[in-house]
Amino acid sequence: MKKLAFIAFVVFFFFLFYSAYEIRDFGNPPSNVKETFPDAKYKVTMDDRIIGKYNTTTGEWEYGAVEETGANNVVTSVVFDYRGYDTLGEATVLFTAIAGIMLLFGREKK
Amino acid sequence: MFEISLFEVLIILLSVFMIASAIIAIWFKDLLASVIALAVMSLLLSLYFYILHAPDVAIAEAGVGACLTTAILIITIKATKRMEGDEE
Amino acid sequence: MKNEEMNEGKMTVIVQTIAALLFPLALIFSFYVIMHGHLTPGGGFQGGAIGASAVVLLIVAYGVKHVEEKMSEGGFSVFESLGGLIFVVVAIFGLFLATSFLANFLVNEPIFGKIPGWGESPLNSGGILPILNIAVGMKVIGGLSAVVLILALISREGEEK
Repeated sequence: MKKLAFIAFVVFFFFLFYSAYEIRDFGNPPSNVKETFPDAKYKVTMDDRIIGKYNTTTGEWEYGAVEETGANNVVTSVVFDYRGYDTLGEATVLFTAIAGIMLLFGREKK
Repeated sequence: MFEISLFEVLIILLSVFMIASAIIAIWFKDLLASVIALAVMSLLLSLYFYILHAPDVAIAEAGVGACLTTAILIITIKATKRMEGDEE
Repeated sequence: MKNEEMNEGKMTVIVQTIAALLFPLALIFSFYVIMHGHLTPGGGFQGGAIGASAVVLLIVAYGVKHVEEKMSEGGFSVFESLGGLIFVVVAIFGLFLATSFLANFLVNEPIFGKIPGWGESPLNSGGILPILNIAVGMKVIGGLSAVVLILALISREGEEK
């Protein structure tokens, strides 16, 4: 059992070190963006290519998300802006679950 | 010969550890140890999401799967029985 | 004496001290993840889960009776409903001030309206995204904490009977 605990300790130690080694600098774009998209006007983070616009007249990719929502994290701008109704529905699901649990187990105030 | 990168080695190791901890979680008769094995599987899954470049899902998985689910299951076990198969 | 403490659901002094040290740090990290949701990975749900895990840490270390004196599940429920109300009100403001429901009406405004250039990541950006992040974070902190607190209370009362 002690050997198992030691193995688990080594695995999570490696996990934390790998995360700290691999994590991106705060506010810096990923390293390969400037090579892939040398003409990008805005900072491109977190797979901005997903909702980049293809300009058919010039044949180049433009970046709409950063300009439209003003957020660097494009995942957040998808979750809260472009697909905001999904988040509203998720919040409704959470609210319904909490309301059900409070109705089942809640006690009356004394 | 195949060329195996560090990424693939990590993915294979993670898959093996995840399957092992999932089997352990249903193998143990002690439900508390089983819950801890489930938390370990959840933490390894969060590492999996992290190396697949989904840090949002990794944070959510580490917070919900490894902490809150474990707490709720341990509260449930304290309210019922600890060992599996105990007939009263 | 030790057994009595265990029966009350408390843990040892070491665990209590570490929990008291870690609780404000976990809350600060949760607020960091929520506030930087539009800049770094994370957001409302992730930060809320971290904040709820801080409350769970207190419940595990100090016992549910002690935690219940300081915070109640009704307060958590009100906090959660407040978050949902902020979300819907901001979304309806988008309907009146801009084009549609959930429209991002704060871009290019002085509050949260800056558009980041190359290599910048200012906190003062993102339009309504930081407000919605805070709303969802309030919802998740309140909801998950209320669930864990009330389950612990119910199981404790079942033991006493």
